[in-house]
Amino acid sequence: MPVQIVKEKRNYFDQNFALFVNLLRREGLPVSTTEIFDALQALEWTDITSKSDFKSALRATLVKNRRDHQTFDLLFDHFFLPSGNHENKVRELSGYKKQFEDKLKQANLDLQFKGEPLRLELRELEQYSALTAEQRERLQSFVRKTENGVNVEPQFKPILETIVKSHLRYCRQQEEFTSSGAYSAVGSEAGSGTGKKDLDLCELDIRTIKEADFPAAEQQLQQLSRKLAFKILRRKSYGFRYGKIDLRRSLRDNMCYGGVIFRLKHRPKRRTKQQILLLCDVSASMKRYSTFVIHFLHGLRQIVRELSCFSFSDTLENLTPELKGRVGLNHLLERIVRQSKNWGGGTNLGFALEDLEKRFPDYLNVKTTIVVVSDAKTIKIDQAVREFEMIKDKVKRIIWLNPLPVSHWADFRSIREISGLVEMWPCSTISQLEEVLSGRL
Amino acid sequence: MNDDIKELKKKFDQAGYICDDSTILTVYLALALHKPLLIEGAPGVGKTEMGKVLAEVLKTELIRLQCYEGLDETKALYEWNYQRQLLRIQMNRNLEKEQIKEEDLFSEQYLLERPLLKAIQAEKQAVLLIDEVDKCDPEFEAFLFEVLSDFQVSIPELGTIKARNIPVVVLTSNNERELSDGLKRRCLYLYLDFPEIKKEIQIIKVKVPGVADRLAWEIATVIHELRQQANLRKKPSIAETLDWAKALVTMNCTQLDGTLVADTMNLVLKTRADQMLFINEVGTEGIACILRQERSEGETCRCKS
Repeated sequence: MPVQIVKEKRNYFDQNFALFVNLLRREGLPVSTTEIFDALQALEWTDITSKSDFKSALRATLVKNRRDHQTFDLLFDHFFLPSGNHENKVRELSGYKKQFEDKLKQANLDLQFKGEPLRLELRELEQYSALTAEQRERLQSFVRKTENGVNVEPQFKPILETIVKSHLRYCRQQEEFTSSGAYSAVGSEAGSGTGKKDLDLCELDIRTIKEADFPAAEQQLQQLSRKLAFKILRRKSYGFRYGKIDLRRSLRDNMCYGGVIFRLKHRPKRRTKQQILLLCDVSASMKRYSTFVIHFLHGLRQIVRELSCFSFSDTLENLTPELKGRVGLNHLLERIVRQSKNWGGGTNLGFALEDLEKRFPDYLNVKTTIVVVSDAKTIKIDQAVREFEMIKDKVKRIIWLNPLPVSHWADFRSIREISGLVEMWPCSTISQLEEVLSGRL
Repeated sequence: MNDDIKELKKKFDQAGYICDDSTILTVYLALALHKPLLIEGAPGVGKTEMGKVLAEVLKTELIRLQCYEGLDETKALYEWNYQRQLLRIQMNRNLEKEQIKEEDLFSEQYLLERPLLKAIQAEKQAVLLIDEVDKCDPEFEAFLFEVLSDFQVSIPELGTIKARNIPVVVLTSNNERELSDGLKRRCLYLYLDFPEIKKEIQIIKVKVPGVADRLAWEIATVIHELRQQANLRKKPSIAETLDWAKALVTMNCTQLDGTLVADTMNLVLKTRADQMLFINEVGTEGIACILRQERSEGETCRCKS
């Protein structure tokens, strides 16, 4: 019996749509199945030959947060290309792929020891390719000199690999530290749309925000603190008697009706107070972040009273009285930056925590949420870990905001050990600060 | 854009609500799919107005539920008219012959309809405006899920009441707190931003009759410039633009100058800090400069066109 070949009818739209939704999800947009159905239904009512209508329909149904609009627009414009552009795009991408493969091959040729390529991970080879010609030359020269050194055995290869890896890591950190970020290009042009500029600023690493943009960033922080304060203040819980009739108040209120209870009075919700304790690292590596956190904190303190703040580097300092005095932001910064002994020092987290426990034990109770802002580059790691283990049981929760990117966390022993004890979140932008705190306070 | 959407846009224009095609499409989809429409944006950009205009366009009743902290089902959905029930019992006590049953006391005549129930029971499809939903408690937000997804409510004494006509639901939020994913999932989402200068000129002309073309253009330009000031605590909204334009028309002004702007700035900037910032960082000179620059650009544009 001859084999019957059935040509499969492929539904390209469904496939593309599913791919697009998948892309949105990968970028962190929470697109649910309900929203996919809504989008497909919406398209039935939309003229899908009009790109703007098609885009608007998808945006209204799939994106439910203003901040995600930018991601959506970017993905949409790259995904749904005008007809005819596809081939160009594919050609462009395959060109990139070839270039990338060539670069990796070259990296393997450059970094050889006794005729064998060094065992480096893909991302490390990528980092090597991204170095400047001068930097690459310097590294190659170092490898060659080592290779040709006196009494250098083949067993030396792993040591050389470790040195090269460390050097690449150092270069990457330097690059990230000095880069001014994508905003420098975007920010100046985005002036026409007030909202867009604010959003760009929120997505930018705090360290790279230019001085000219400080007022706008501070404005964003003020808004964020107001929003968060609103949430904290309205925190109420249902007591077991909530909603029941309050007989005493009902009787009192209805005396004017001769004792007939016309107006009922119910028991209100109970307000639960949450105490927040902020531990802010003001050591040299954290200066910029800390300034922004203090801005944020000052705004929050104007509304929320149950807030304590400590700064630490190699010692601990209580900033709560300054905050309670309702001083202006400039005075507060002046006080912290100019007069504090901590500002710009080294980091000794273990000592700071020990000091906190000894001198301020009342601050640590089951209602307290500790928020630590630090990059965890501390000395005496074991002491810090020990202290965290002790404090963890005394308080409600510990949230750690770490400005270092997650990809770097594995490189630091302190982070590896402490992240197992507390909730550690990457937090280098205003958006991340909002996301982490509004979801967890 | 299909004919229905064009028609809807025309009706919105006639009702004095100027917006872009994308906004109209989203509103149209909310109507077509019978989905609630969640509108977010800064205060004064026209979120509440959207609900009002929809009621006008659809020629139907607008039922408004203003959310606030502590709002609960008794204020939003229904409540038994306790006082009336009590009076009925008291009256019955005096008439010894009549026996009162429990069902009599829990019938519809003792039911006080609140906005949600009213919208569900409306004879004609109504527009239900749930205003500032971010101000209500998360518990109430969760309660809204049932109403917004099934359009039915359960009253223990009467049973389940289903919507006679599914209302057009518009929810507005100032984004003072993040709404739950559950609520967002049930809605179509629309973000209203401040309009561009051209759009704002159109809005001024529609909403403030008698405003001179030049004045409308200058007002929109100054407002746009003020919104660029990063340090402002509250950026001027469309509502403030319109108030300002009305005030200037009342004063028989046909064009702006630095002093006039400074004298009437309290209509636009509503906090002392913002007003001081305006005086220190923009001032009458700054405004005069903006207007001079815009006038010369405007004239060039007109020449080109």
